[in-house]
Amino acid sequence: MTLTSSLLLTPLATALLVLLVPGNYRFVIRALSLLGGLVTAVLGVVLFCRFDPAGAPYQFESLVNWVSSPTLRIQYHVGVDGIAAAMLLVTALVGFSALAVSWEIERQTKLFHVLLLVMIGGALGAFASLDLFFFYFFNELALVPTFIMIGVWGTGENRNRAAFKITMYLTAGAMVGLIGLIGLYSASGAGSLDLVELQKQVAQTPISPAAQAFIFPCLLFGFGTLVGLWPFHTWAPLGYASAPTATAMMHAGILKKAGLFVILRAALPLLPEGVKFWMPILAVLCVGNLLHCGFVALRQKDINLLIGNSSLAHMGFAFLGIASVSVIGLSGAVLVMVSHALLAALSFALSGWLRIQTGTTDMARMGGLLQRMPFIGSVLVLCFMAGCGVPGFANFAGELSVLFGAWKTMPWLVVAAAWGGLVIGGVYMLRALRSILHGDLRTELKGVIDAPGMWRRLPFVILAGGLLLFGIFPGLVTARIQPSIQRIAEAARPAVPAEVPPATALVVP
Amino acid sequence: MDANVVEHAAAAGAKYHDLAWMVLAAPLICGVGSWFLTRRLRGLTAGFNIAGVLLSFLLGVVLLSIAGDHPVLATPFHWLPVPGLDFSIGLQVDRLSTLMSLVVTGVGALVMIYSTGYMKDDGSYSRFFCTLSLFVFSMLGIVLADNLVMLFVFWELVGVSSYLLIGFWHQRPAAGDAAKKAFLTNRLGDFGFMLGILVVWASTGTVSLTELSAKFAVEPGLMGSMAGIAGLLVFLGAMGKSAQFPLHVWLPDAMEGPTPVSALIHAATMVAAGVYMLCRVFFLYTVPAGWPAWLGFMGDVGAGTIIGMIGGFTALLAALIAVQQNDIKRILAYSTLSQLGYMVMAVGLGAQAGTPASGMFHLVTHAFFKAMLFLGAGSVIHACHHEQDIWKMGGLRKRMPITFWTFLIGTAALAGLPPFSGFYSKDEILVTALETCPPLFVVAVVVAILTTFYMSRLVLVAFFGEARSDSASHAHESPRNMTWPLLVLAVPSVGIAWLPVGEFIGSIFGSHGHGAAEVVAAESAIGLGPLLERMSGGINHALFGPFNHNTLAATFGLFAVLLGGSLAWACYGRGGADPLPRLLGGWARVLRNRFYFDEIYSGLVIPVHDAAAWVADWIDRWLIAGLGIRGLAGSVELVGRALRLVQSGNLQTYTFVFAAGLAVVAWFILR
Repeated sequence: MTLTSSLLLTPLATALLVLLVPGNYRFVIRALSLLGGLVTAVLGVVLFCRFDPAGAPYQFESLVNWVSSPTLRIQYHVGVDGIAAAMLLVTALVGFSALAVSWEIERQTKLFHVLLLVMIGGALGAFASLDLFFFYFFNELALVPTFIMIGVWGTGENRNRAAFKITMYLTAGAMVGLIGLIGLYSASGAGSLDLVELQKQVAQTPISPAAQAFIFPCLLFGFGTLVGLWPFHTWAPLGYASAPTATAMMHAGILKKAGLFVILRAALPLLPEGVKFWMPILAVLCVGNLLHCGFVALRQKDINLLIGNSSLAHMGFAFLGIASVSVIGLSGAVLVMVSHALLAALSFALSGWLRIQTGTTDMARMGGLLQRMPFIGSVLVLCFMAGCGVPGFANFAGELSVLFGAWKTMPWLVVAAAWGGLVIGGVYMLRALRSILHGDLRTELKGVIDAPGMWRRLPFVILAGGLLLFGIFPGLVTARIQPSIQRIAEAARPAVPAEVPPATALVVP
Repeated sequence: MDANVVEHAAAAGAKYHDLAWMVLAAPLICGVGSWFLTRRLRGLTAGFNIAGVLLSFLLGVVLLSIAGDHPVLATPFHWLPVPGLDFSIGLQVDRLSTLMSLVVTGVGALVMIYSTGYMKDDGSYSRFFCTLSLFVFSMLGIVLADNLVMLFVFWELVGVSSYLLIGFWHQRPAAGDAAKKAFLTNRLGDFGFMLGILVVWASTGTVSLTELSAKFAVEPGLMGSMAGIAGLLVFLGAMGKSAQFPLHVWLPDAMEGPTPVSALIHAATMVAAGVYMLCRVFFLYTVPAGWPAWLGFMGDVGAGTIIGMIGGFTALLAALIAVQQNDIKRILAYSTLSQLGYMVMAVGLGAQAGTPASGMFHLVTHAFFKAMLFLGAGSVIHACHHEQDIWKMGGLRKRMPITFWTFLIGTAALAGLPPFSGFYSKDEILVTALETCPPLFVVAVVVAILTTFYMSRLVLVAFFGEARSDSASHAHESPRNMTWPLLVLAVPSVGIAWLPVGEFIGSIFGSHGHGAAEVVAAESAIGLGPLLERMSGGINHALFGPFNHNTLAATFGLFAVLLGGSLAWACYGRGGADPLPRLLGGWARVLRNRFYFDEIYSGLVIPVHDAAAWVADWIDRWLIAGLGIRGLAGSVELVGRALRLVQSGNLQTYTFVFAAGLAVVAWFILR
């Protein structure tokens, strides 16, 4: 079994094992899940380190035929390029951290852990799959537990509405995406949804422009909804506000990126005509994410809604990078995906801790918490600083590349993005820090405690450490993703020469 | 420069780049290391951090004497390697950056030593020192950066570490507010700085300082019509850090931080970073003025002139406000603002003169005497049990002699009284203004009068007369670890201008301001040794240089000091209450309330953003979520209700529906 297969099967197998444990053996369930998560995390690190950017485009491949009729071949085909390797790494890390903070779940512990492990396995499968059918399958496998987890273990009075809304949106988005995938299958004539075969086929006979014009928006908006593309975004903050901590971490951190991942790897290189037409539109929509969602975040008094909206604003950077279709911008988009996975997971882990300790998510009812929680408070400062794009954290590297990548073609959008990221982001993050950490400690909060001991601190250390590591050495990611990014950029813009003439003058309308 | 020299320089560069990295890394290693290892041992932690900064200072001295004229370019670390965008972290060690790094680490080390006394009883002693080290590291990164992106990276890190230091006493709500305000105001500036970097990169294809200055030397019109905009956008960054109007509001509030922090970051380093950065990217301002068509009316007015005006305006505004402040730290804060305005004005006007040397010179002298003034104020505050109102002090002259005398020296230097250092640097600024823009010269002289006035007021009220409160009458001199740094800082405050520092700085920029012979002499002076040699013969010349060089400017400078001083003596020499509110009437209130800038901002700018946020939130709630999802959900629910009517559980209904259905099917088939 290749590394990729063992990576994605470990959490699924652990889930099966946990199913066999009687439900009242909470310690065994926790220990077993954590062990599975740890093995997954280690495998993820090994895979990332062993991925060789100079080697074959897809490494650690394995292939099992499932359906093989002459007109339709569906294969379990997994393998990683640099982008997948990076995403698998952060998925494994976030998965382990999500398992590690799940000690808060006291009701139906077993079911929760099984669902969480399935979610992790599904997410890993989605990033590892080279066959788009299996990508879709794994993605749904990861999404369905989300709905159940919000409904059963969610918090707050809105949780039923949230579960309903998130299900509606994500199912509808996935359906539209599926239509796009089926269109891709029938229009390409490859007789398969295997990415490698599709690329080969499209290189010889491109898909007709008419078909591209139909398929591309299906993929873009269908999977874009999963990411929270404006204006299909309102499910996200509400869903995260009600979700249990681990679910919010996995969904906001990881599952959202699956949409970007498939747009980046399938829609862009296979549908250059669609790119030409739809990317300017995407560029305008992502301003909605960058500014609109930023403004909405300014209004939030609930920390989870704030994080949810700010994560939508960050997705605007990823979309802007994709819309630039330049090597620099696309690299930036992947860096944003990687860093935001860690950031969102860390934010929700922290807000989960704060909610348990203070019994509220209303920031106005917190205050002065730094006096009682030096560790959590410091990590919160790190996290929110990372969130408003401070150098030293991975987000800055990603946002910087996106700004530079998009500047030559869309300077005014970059101005909007810089305003959204530097100023608006700064305002809501700093306001939140001020009201949560600074000032007098309220009397009813005298009893709160800091994260005690190594084990409780471990998930925070892993996630914050990852942010710092990739912030100081973003080259670890960019070196690995370069071959794929080059391929995607060339395939998505075949007609355009590599060097775009610089826009030296800002054009005023 | 002949080939031999270049080779020699390259060899020196290769040899000493580890040294250059150590200058940057020492504070970081000591700060982070002591945080993780010795946090619980307060004394050891403080020792480690002081050692780190001192080491960095000593290495800086070594570098200055070795490297001298020839920049050492330390091997870069490829931070963000993407094809077409290789951002690296590299060091450019030349005379400008070494000089500035000495200012940063020198003042930094003294402030840290002082803090061992000032922060003695603080519960977070270790955290304080480690954060200070982090700050010094970030500041050195700005100073030594060899490209604009790295400059921006450390620029932001300075913002973060100053956030941590201003909000150091996090249990105080005011400190939290001030830290937030400082960070966000700086962020506004950084937004412009980022765009400026993007514009420069897009039109020149590089962010490296060396490459940029080489390119501009060959082709000054490289930026074309974007030159003015790029210059102003980059200046926005300096505007935030150096607290220039209209982004000046954060600095006075930042006094909520511990006083040593004010001395370090709000006198000598962070606020000076803006001016330093302008000197660093000075080639952006010497290019021919160029504006896009929609700004065509700007004509030949370059970005530099606008910067000069903003600087002059800030200097005047802040000096006026300082006249009616009563908090000792706030007076110093506004005085810093005013002096920064001076420097920015000098750099901006220097664009026409071809050198920012006068601004940079003032930066260096100001760093020492202003740090000393802040530390002196801290000593006073410490002795008066955290009383900061000068009207509740008085008579401290006898009770705190060391603090008094050093404070007096600082005041003389700040006012610009010869032979103290401030006189010489201020004189160069006056000369620059007189030669390039006479209206700003008038402004500068008025500011000089005001400066002497408010500083004399501060000294007369706080140190002379009778004690006005209990805490002042029981004050006693601060411990030695606090007075020693004051004495050490007094030395450069008196004498730094006697050294040929002004000419040294002038030579960095290839100055033409000082007379050709001196420049040639200074340029031949590579490193420290020859500099010291020249010193002995030059004191006499240095002392009276300004009067020989430009008599008008020097005379006006001296006149301003005398006028300001005598006005202050007339108002405050005899003790009693402040006569100004009576004399100025309503204006005194306006000055006391800082021209209501904070009120204007919180009444205008913030509500605009909040209104936009409100609208966006409303759209989210009602348009997108309301009509979209609710509409969808509503229709689904409607169908559900209709279907529920059908599923009544009533057997007769089912039979009826079944029969009806059968009938319909039968009708279709039999038709």
